[in-house]
Amino acid sequence: MTSQELIMRAGDYVLGLMDEADRARAERDMTIDPEFREAVWSLAQRLEVLDRSAPFEPVSDTLWSRIEAATAGTSQQTRLELVQSDMAASGTPLTAPDRHGVLGLRRPMSGFFRGARGTALAATMLAACALGYVVGQASVTARDPEVVVVLLNEEDVPGALVEAYGDDRVRILPLTDFDVPAGKVLEVWTLYDAAVGPVSLGTMSSSREAVLSGPDLPTPRPDQLYEITLEDAPRSPAGRPLGPILVKGLAVSPPR
Amino acid sequence: MDDCDSLMRRVANGDRSALAAIFDLEAARLVAIAKRIVRRRELAEDVVQEAFVTIWRKAALFDHERGAARAWMTTIVRHRALNLIRDGSRLDFHDADQLATLGDRAADADAAYADLPETEDLKRCLDQLEPERRRSIVMAYVVGFSHGEIAAHLGAPVGTVKAWIRRGVASLKECLS
Repeated sequence: MTSQELIMRAGDYVLGLMDEADRARAERDMTIDPEFREAVWSLAQRLEVLDRSAPFEPVSDTLWSRIEAATAGTSQQTRLELVQSDMAASGTPLTAPDRHGVLGLRRPMSGFFRGARGTALAATMLAACALGYVVGQASVTARDPEVVVVLLNEEDVPGALVEAYGDDRVRILPLTDFDVPAGKVLEVWTLYDAAVGPVSLGTMSSSREAVLSGPDLPTPRPDQLYEITLEDAPRSPAGRPLGPILVKGLAVSPPR
Repeated sequence: MDDCDSLMRRVANGDRSALAAIFDLEAARLVAIAKRIVRRRELAEDVVQEAFVTIWRKAALFDHERGAARAWMTTIVRHRALNLIRDGSRLDFHDADQLATLGDRAADADAAYADLPETEDLKRCLDQLEPERRRSIVMAYVVGFSHGEIAAHLGAPVGTVKAWIRRGVASLKECLS
């Protein structure tokens, strides 16, 4: 999608001219595409000036108590739940496999998918589901990632989404709140060549979306391992992972 | 970061008093925005009530969207209000009323544009658009006209209106940045 198309799509969203399905897709893309999100909010903030002329409306005394009552029985959703429901609402469910969803397996079989091979398979299946957003008609950004990786934790629950680009940039979208104690950092690694060993792509101080400009490495390929570990700040002194692995996964290339 | 953004971060952490503080700051503005779309104050308050429940439930998502709490809330309210009028079942207008309402709503949109201070960038940039593109964008935003309603009001085909809006938004963005 060209930046012009991205802006026009942001306009249709902000102006309220989308049907339900397009709106759901737009909201999913706002979760995972910072460029689109930025286009939406910058336009929305600009158009707010038009709201200022709305005639002042006194608010009923009872409105807050109605809201208080309605929210009392409503629990808040976590980021992960919200991302999952955005994905599901737009027809690209992101469900942890090895449970009930994607693979359609019942518990007794699930042991088969455990361990390194299981994780690899699970990550591939998950990535295939998540790919909808990358290749979905409306959401391909000007430069597509070479590979996409869903990083899973020990229980095979998705913990982060990684897009790795040909120019060494890596975009990380945490799907969970990693606990990063003071003096620690999240360090992102890839293994592109077993002879070289894991190479650091950079560090993150918190569980927030980040774009890292990694070192000059060969173009990322399918099946390349990515992982995030918890290291002492500012980074692992050994230049290789020393701390616990929080999440890991194998890359898949988006169909073009 | 304005008040609303920091309050919204507290809401995301489950702080109900922060939600109440946001209500005090923003409710009147949001009811006014909703009323320009749904036309009736009690419906506008229903919209704002539902929007606040959504804001409470989804506050964790806002935190991810870095500092646009007011725009985020406005968008939730506008989309909720639009669902209400496009659903239509709760409005029950007769045809004649509906025609009159279309005219009233268009007049409200024109007034909102006319009221923009000359010093605002948005005013300057809207001024640069061709009139039908400008009116289409303002009618969609301010009173929530659909493509079809804009087409009916301006006497143009729906496809033309869609193109006016999309090209108008692109020009607007270029002018504003």
